[in-house]
Amino acid sequence: MENDSRRKFLGVCLAGATVAAAAAAGYPVIRYLAPKSGKVGTDKLVFATSDIPDGEAKFFEYAGTSAVLVKTNAGALLALSAVCTHMGCIVQWEKDKQDFLCPCHAGHYSPEGEVLSGPPPKPLAKIPFTVADGKITVG
Amino acid sequence: MTLLPQHTRFRRRATFGALIFTLLAGPQAATAATAAAGEQPESACIQCHETLPDRLGAPVKLWRASIHAENGISCNACHGGDAKDAADAMNRTRGFLGAPKEAEVPAFCGRCHPGVMKDYLLSAHGKALGKGGPNCVTCHGNHRVVKASLELINEKNCSRCHSFERARTIRAAMQQTESYVVGIDARIAGFQAEGVDTDRLGKGLFAIRNRFHTLFHEVDVSLVKRESARIDAELGKLDLELKAIEDARARRRVVGGFVVTGLLLLAWLFHLLKKTYD
Amino acid sequence: MLSKRLYDWIDLRIGAREIVKKELTGYLLPKKINEWYSLGSVLMVIFGLQIATGMLLMVYYVPDPEKAFKSITFIMNEVPYGWLIRLCHAVGSNMMVAVLLLHMFSVLMMGSYKSPRELNWLTGFILFCLIQGISLTGYLAPWSQLSFWATTVATNSAAAIPVIGPYLVEFMRGGKLVGPPTLGRFFALHVAVLPAVIAALVGAHLFLLKRTGISTPPSGVQQSRNPWPVESYRYESHPGGIPFFPNYALQDLTSISVYFAVFLAVVFFAPNFLFTPDAFVPANPFQTPAHIKPEWYFLANYQTLKIFPSELLGLSVQVAAMTLLALLPFLDRSPERNPLKRPLFLVCSIGGILIWIGLTIWGHYS
Repeated sequence: MENDSRRKFLGVCLAGATVAAAAAAGYPVIRYLAPKSGKVGTDKLVFATSDIPDGEAKFFEYAGTSAVLVKTNAGALLALSAVCTHMGCIVQWEKDKQDFLCPCHAGHYSPEGEVLSGPPPKPLAKIPFTVADGKITVG
Repeated sequence: MTLLPQHTRFRRRATFGALIFTLLAGPQAATAATAAAGEQPESACIQCHETLPDRLGAPVKLWRASIHAENGISCNACHGGDAKDAADAMNRTRGFLGAPKEAEVPAFCGRCHPGVMKDYLLSAHGKALGKGGPNCVTCHGNHRVVKASLELINEKNCSRCHSFERARTIRAAMQQTESYVVGIDARIAGFQAEGVDTDRLGKGLFAIRNRFHTLFHEVDVSLVKRESARIDAELGKLDLELKAIEDARARRRVVGGFVVTGLLLLAWLFHLLKKTYD
Repeated sequence: MLSKRLYDWIDLRIGAREIVKKELTGYLLPKKINEWYSLGSVLMVIFGLQIATGMLLMVYYVPDPEKAFKSITFIMNEVPYGWLIRLCHAVGSNMMVAVLLLHMFSVLMMGSYKSPRELNWLTGFILFCLIQGISLTGYLAPWSQLSFWATTVATNSAAAIPVIGPYLVEFMRGGKLVGPPTLGRFFALHVAVLPAVIAALVGAHLFLLKRTGISTPPSGVQQSRNPWPVESYRYESHPGGIPFFPNYALQDLTSISVYFAVFLAVVFFAPNFLFTPDAFVPANPFQTPAHIKPEWYFLANYQTLKIFPSELLGLSVQVAAMTLLALLPFLDRSPERNPLKRPLFLVCSIGGILIWIGLTIWGHYS
């Protein structure tokens, strides 16, 4: 029947058009909701060496996540990711023990980020930095 | 420790003041909304002077057409005194200043326009102040002060004191930049009225315009030319940013054309399919 | 085929074929049904789109007087396609009112409000009021000069009510003047209370439609008088009519597509036709912009308030007109539904509409 073939043809056209319309409507919504991409993390951060006394740690935001600069009692300077490799909590600096403790499941890390005890599977990631003229540049 | 209570006390007073204001303004503010608003509450200066003849009444009318009136800068902002107290408005102890003497005019205006005063005083015009040279009101007028523009440098104004020739050269050097500034200003205002975030562009233009306006009191032709060229380059950057916005809007319209056409096509297909069932 | 097996599987469990037969393919509509009947479906789609775009806007919008305007500026300028979502929501709300007016107009002209459909009309009328309410409360959200002062003017009109008026205004605003408390309560009404109430009433409206049955359009049929009153409840069926699915569903889809074409043409080509420059200036409670006006669909009300010597009189006239409209099916009891056979009705209704349009235009230019 002529009507049948016509119906079938129009149906195919409409199915295609509907898919196209849905895609056209969906794309802006996804872009609208997508997190801001690019730029994050390329920024360098500068601290004065006097900001971090011996034995202290300084937490800051870097590349969109948390990081820490630590100066041990011995005077060694390190920059690490502050995100525990176990479940993503933020580690705390224990000044008296000179180590990092993750309060969620008691993971312990050395000031160098090595796992001392507890569940963390990997050491804390190291962040590159340079020291010059009394300034610490992270990144 | 002594600072804190003082600070809090001030805050409390401020909040109390705001409350009183709200209570007083309540009914008026609500009705003001229905009437065409924008009217300033009349000051004692205006209420009285408006009815006075000639020299004492004329300034009110002139002021109404000024940029000062437009921005709500009333008599007492320049002449001092208490605009809320008719009986004592012109008491010197209330800060009334009256009209300045000729040589005092730049300092009088310069209280609010210090940058312009500095430019003027450094110029040949400023150096001749008190020796027959022009002061602010000579060119800008008094009371009916309009927005400063290049139009003020004209044959009628300048030839009151000297030949127009050099002024004409300076004006020509600045004319192009001036129209560039005016054009970009209009485009920014247009976008602003359409909801584009023009805050940064507007501030950029404001800074450039101010830099440009410092030339308005300059009489060194080559300096004016050099500076104008630099300012043109700065304006070029704003121009590019505005073009980017214009391009984005044009692209939106093209996409919109496709979308609307697509939907009409969809409607037509649905209609055709419906007809197969009739 | 997989889809057929899936359908069988579902049918076995919930009797899907029976529902489809009863509610879609076997749901028969009057033979002479016309395009106007699809406006209800269009309205439901608009309402759905308002909800979807509204939810998306809430991702970035901050209902705080300090931040609201900035967040809207951010959505309009920084967020990818934020301008599109926001314009769809703003233009969509106006379109919703416009289509609602057309829907009411068609119901009026075809006499579909008449007995036994008084409740359909009444729920529809309440929906109309609620849609105006949700538009009014949403208008304040951007916290611009336009929204701030239009809200001041709109809420102020209630002050004309004797005795309780001034307190009512204060109650609506949450203070003497429009201010931060107003934004809080308007926002709650706009995103939570009113959408829920509207959704519930749409449900009631549809329930009534299904229980009473679709009315037959009065034009082109021999018998245009309502066979009413009857002794007991009776569903108005249309034997031999056209099935809702696929026939009329395709008409709905055609109308919806045409609507979207018009709607998106406004969004893409004339978005600023709804906004005055005051819409892009942050609210300033100490400076009323000149010529502030409410939204177009309130212009007639606004003008009515202005032309009467006392605001109370103006308000009473409006209340009377709205009450008349709400109770129309109870007042107009003649069974005849064809407007051409009812000259008095035709004159009154067209006259009323012309007065409304005239007042709107007058309000716009006054």
